[in-house]
Amino acid sequence: MDYARRDLADALAAQFVAGTLRGAARRRFETLLPGHPALRGAVADWQARLMPLTGVLRPEAPPAGTWGRIERRLWPANAAAAQPASTPAAAALAWWQGLGFWRAASGLATVAAVGLGVLLANPGPQAPPVLVVLQGTDAGGPGLSLVASVSGDGRALVTRPLQPVALAPGRVLELWAVPPDGAPRSLGLISAAGATLIRRDKLPTALLDARNTAALAVSVEPPGGSPTGAPTGPVIYAGKLQL
Amino acid sequence: MPNPASAPTPAAPADWTQRSRDLAHLLSRSAMGDRAAFKRLYELSSGHLFAVLLRIQRDRNLAEDLLQEVYVSAWKAAANFDAQRAQPLTWLTHIARNKAIDSLRRAQTQPRMESVHPADDQDDRPDLDQRLVDDAPGPAALLERASDARQLGHCMQGLSAQQRQSVALAFFDGLSHAEVAEQLRQPLGTVKSWVRRALATLKTCLERAAQGDSALGA
Repeated sequence: MDYARRDLADALAAQFVAGTLRGAARRRFETLLPGHPALRGAVADWQARLMPLTGVLRPEAPPAGTWGRIERRLWPANAAAAQPASTPAAAALAWWQGLGFWRAASGLATVAAVGLGVLLANPGPQAPPVLVVLQGTDAGGPGLSLVASVSGDGRALVTRPLQPVALAPGRVLELWAVPPDGAPRSLGLISAAGATLIRRDKLPTALLDARNTAALAVSVEPPGGSPTGAPTGPVIYAGKLQL
Repeated sequence: MPNPASAPTPAAPADWTQRSRDLAHLLSRSAMGDRAAFKRLYELSSGHLFAVLLRIQRDRNLAEDLLQEVYVSAWKAAANFDAQRAQPLTWLTHIARNKAIDSLRRAQTQPRMESVHPADDQDDRPDLDQRLVDDAPGPAALLERASDARQLGHCMQGLSAQQRQSVALAFFDGLSHAEVAEQLRQPLGTVKSWVRRALATLKTCLERAAQGDSALGA
């Protein structure tokens, strides 16, 4: 990269984070960010430098009703859900409707379920395999998708990205089964370039039970996978399991 | 070099506090749609973010609206949080500051400065610390307090008084260059260059401090 431009990027990032970049210039800068990793890096560096300044502010308790208002904005469908969800299936559905990253990725919240097609292929005498299409999230790139094919008995799983994924050196992809409630379970690392067969001994029993799995997701992790047992990097694909 | 005994994990840098680790965990849970985790995240971070918002947007009702927007955005963008790139509270604070600054843009027509400190037409303006009618510390005082943060404080000392004031007004109170210039009664170009040079000086100093630290094995 040419140094003059890097300096300019750094200076703009500094003013952006300090708050003095205003008006049209600020909006322009914001629209540039998603497509320019170097710019995002400069912003992240300036955030790390300046945000500690805010540590001196004495915390101020927000009004008691604020959280309730946030809930109603995020999950209007079941906001009246001070009432308990009636069935596990309804609970899982409501849970999924709140998945902001999926909506953001699709840009079509109302037809999310259509884009998330879960296709039943080749119905035969045995339970058919289930194809889950995982769409790219904002972090991954909305154009991306990845197919996960689960055998009908839920005991073998093959993943394949439909487009090449650009990963930073040393980053790997990790597949997660997301239950309706509780912590996601790692299903192991998958290839960013081609097909990965996940062996049955890695798969939880009854993977295809809606009570166990509401969605599959893929996150970017350090070599060897998440060190914490929970996703640590950005989630770049997500897809709901419809059973 | 990192201390080998602390076995740093790549996911959460070794020098992160437990609070940062907790918040990062809650954010990644939120990215997967875990509402309970998101509620916990709100409980742990909303006090700080509300304080940040109130500095910039002093109308309490508007600040409360902004706080809602911050968490709606955070929920939607949680998947973008990358523990390799940012501390969770830094990430959240940036969202809050962005909302607050944008809200000032929308309310640009309101004479905001005039509403926060009593009209003073004399030339001897009250000290910045005293320009607020309430007892909230002024931006300059906050910057002094920030000096407790070791390296940042050290580096702040490297700035001229005007540079410090300009940065503090812009950063804490969300003043634009023009508003800082008005507040300090200085030409716009002068203020712009104070801020620019202050930021450049801070960057150089913080980078040097970081190198010094790693050379010492701290």
